Amino acid sequence: MLAVSINAALGRGAILLGLLTCLSGVAVTIAGIRRHDLRALKSSVRYAYVAFFAALLAFVMMERALITRDFSMKYVQQVGSRDTPAIFNVTALWSALEGSILLWLLVLTAFVAAVARKFRGRAGDELLAWAMVVMFIVGLFFFFLSFGPANPFTMGPLGVSDGPGPNPLLQNHILVLFHPPILYIGYVGFTVPFAFAMAALITGRVGEGWLLETRRWTLYAWGFLTVGIILGSWWSYEVLGWSGVWAWDPVENASFLPWLTGTAYLHSVLVQERRGMLRVWNLSLVIATFSLTILGTFLTRSGVINSVHAFSEGSVGPWLLGFFAAIVIVAIILIGRRGDELRSPGAIDSPISREGAFLANNVVFSAFAFVVLLGTVFPLIVEAVDNRRLVVGQPFFNRMTMPLGLTLLFLMAVAPVLPWRKASQEVLRDRLFWPAWCGVLSLAVAVFVGADGWASLTAFAMGGFASGAALRQIVLASRRQGWRGVVGRANGGMVVHIGVIIIAVAFTASNSYTRTQEFVMNEGETVTFSGHSFTFEGLSLESDDVKTSVKAAVRIDGDQVYSPSRSKYVKQGMDIGTPSVKSGFVNDLYLTLEGTVRPDDTQARIKIFVKPLIMWLWIGGALMAIGTVLAAFPGKRRRPTAPVSAGLEESVQEVADHV
Amino acid sequence: MFLGTQRDSGPSTAQERIEAISQRLACPTCDGESVYESRSPGSQAIRQEITRQVADGVLTDGQIVRIIDDSYAADLKLIPSATGFDALIWVLPVAAFVAAVGGLIIVFRRWRHEGSLLATQEDQILVTQARQDRD
Repeated sequence: MLAVSINAALGRGAILLGLLTCLSGVAVTIAGIRRHDLRALKSSVRYAYVAFFAALLAFVMMERALITRDFSMKYVQQVGSRDTPAIFNVTALWSALEGSILLWLLVLTAFVAAVARKFRGRAGDELLAWAMVVMFIVGLFFFFLSFGPANPFTMGPLGVSDGPGPNPLLQNHILVLFHPPILYIGYVGFTVPFAFAMAALITGRVGEGWLLETRRWTLYAWGFLTVGIILGSWWSYEVLGWSGVWAWDPVENASFLPWLTGTAYLHSVLVQERRGMLRVWNLSLVIATFSLTILGTFLTRSGVINSVHAFSEGSVGPWLLGFFAAIVIVAIILIGRRGDELRSPGAIDSPISREGAFLANNVVFSAFAFVVLLGTVFPLIVEAVDNRRLVVGQPFFNRMTMPLGLTLLFLMAVAPVLPWRKASQEVLRDRLFWPAWCGVLSLAVAVFVGADGWASLTAFAMGGFASGAALRQIVLASRRQGWRGVVGRANGGMVVHIGVIIIAVAFTASNSYTRTQEFVMNEGETVTFSGHSFTFEGLSLESDDVKTSVKAAVRIDGDQVYSPSRSKYVKQGMDIGTPSVKSGFVNDLYLTLEGTVRPDDTQARIKIFVKPLIMWLWIGGALMAIGTVLAAFPGKRRRPTAPVSAGLEESVQEVADHV
Repeated sequence: MFLGTQRDSGPSTAQERIEAISQRLACPTCDGESVYESRSPGSQAIRQEITRQVADGVLTDGQIVRIIDDSYAADLKLIPSATGFDALIWVLPVAAFVAAVGGLIIVFRRWRHEGSLLATQEDQILVTQARQDRD
């Protein structure tokens, strides 16, 4: 056996190449900016490509090591196994700290290369050059992490011929293949708007230019983050066996925090584009979004916070915290230096206007993010100050975020119908008529069918109100613009709103009206629960090289058999329960096998959860993704100089007249 | 929504009460999970204790939470108390929200004041000049 495997040697070399490339990229681009040297500036594109190639090579080498089971490498000894199915050997790359940084690097350098390619014709533009510098610095930091504190290519002890494989929870469902990469694309994608925001502050071009350059990049990053979060919820539901989709776990919160600030930004950016206002606020939101991705990575990769998803303690913590602090300090200094230039030229005429609603939306989203951040880090603060252990769990988050969620639903109902600048009473009365009736109807139906609880009823009423407003917008736009009535930022945004509303209603229903019962059942026994019959037909044993599973056969409504199971993973010695779910548009029937079971037992404890509307969470998520894509398509263009109060048609007509 | 709100008639089961109580207690041995979510032996023991207390039918949910929490050295309550240092987690978000809304009101007042200012003669000259330049 070689002292250093080819995988480790090439991977390590690739990381070093990436590190040096990013370092050179920073130096050459800054020198190019200083000397106005167009050749040097153009070369930044090549540096971006080489950095991407380096990250790709490192990624491929690690995958090769895992697939070929190169147990000379420490990382493969840690997460690889001869018995792990091929697909989970691939996903093992991102199942621990060092590999997940490699995935981060691959996505980051892909974004850097894509930005470099997209803007290659404008290499002389200082804004772009500084954005490349910022992205190279971020790349440099992550290549450094991978080269030093989180080196995945270290050689392990000699003589190891097998490993434990990834955590059993990470080799239990196909979503492990999709959820992390998609989430990372969203998470890391926010580097692009951050880089342009910093470039705007450095160059002093703090107008609307950088916003327009990064509009679609931000939208795609947000879309991927949304889909990543939804897929994570789905994985949690299908794998963890507690029947929930969201536990306010620190790792979940780490992905949700940038989503909240990113969503606030996507709304407030419209005010700056339209009215030239909120410059400092938008810059702060973009910087906060990116900073929160770094802070979230610190919280979940440093071992400071306990979580079922968090990786083991590593030495990356201080580096990530330092990087986070550096970003915040530099951003504050730059914003301070540009104080006067960032002053908004205009004023918001009335709080009852589109821009007023966006401001309110931003306050609520910021408060939401603050609550989630505080709840996530509060145990750390208590431990530091009071030296005691505290766990802040679901009940706190549910209680604090529920009124904020309801307020956001209300704003989703009102904001789309408000005109820019100022709304008269007549306009409001006219435009809110149908949405308000949708809200009233929703409430009436909910009460009629027996819904209870003021929070749930309010959520259903607000859901109806908000969906009425979104549908009104889509119908009006489709009447005016035909098929283009669902594309463009405003209309695609309404499709996203409908997705959010569906998720809010489904989440409320599944949280409020879940029915649960545990049954101790003898073989052949049938129980009835919540209008369904469940027949326990016996236990069976299934085993392979990885695990030994005891499966319960439960026939639902005399039809299909479902098999919740308990598996003992041979190498890890872990006992994992796997639920079995009968999905439907109305209810999911979620079965788990409880307690210790032996295959020759004739009795089993089966827990049954009847969970309403779960499928609508995934449908809502899909609609959000579709809406994001529709929003990225260009809709009818407004003449940039048209008065903000002008309707789209007048504005478009004005453009036509001028043409 | 119509489908989601439909539930069978009849009271909640004792099991649902057990589930609700187990959501308010942290698993004593695992990382950041509640007793409700966790399948660890420590959580199973707590769940059995909750089941026993619910079956007895003497104590309220809050009392059961308190008794179980008191029987462990670590703080198992997933809802921080509203006294002492822990009260900050309740107070800070409310204070921040009030401050943000207050700030918004002040800014809107200022904008309204600025919006009501009349254009000065200098402003009008600038506009006229800009129009002439455009033509």
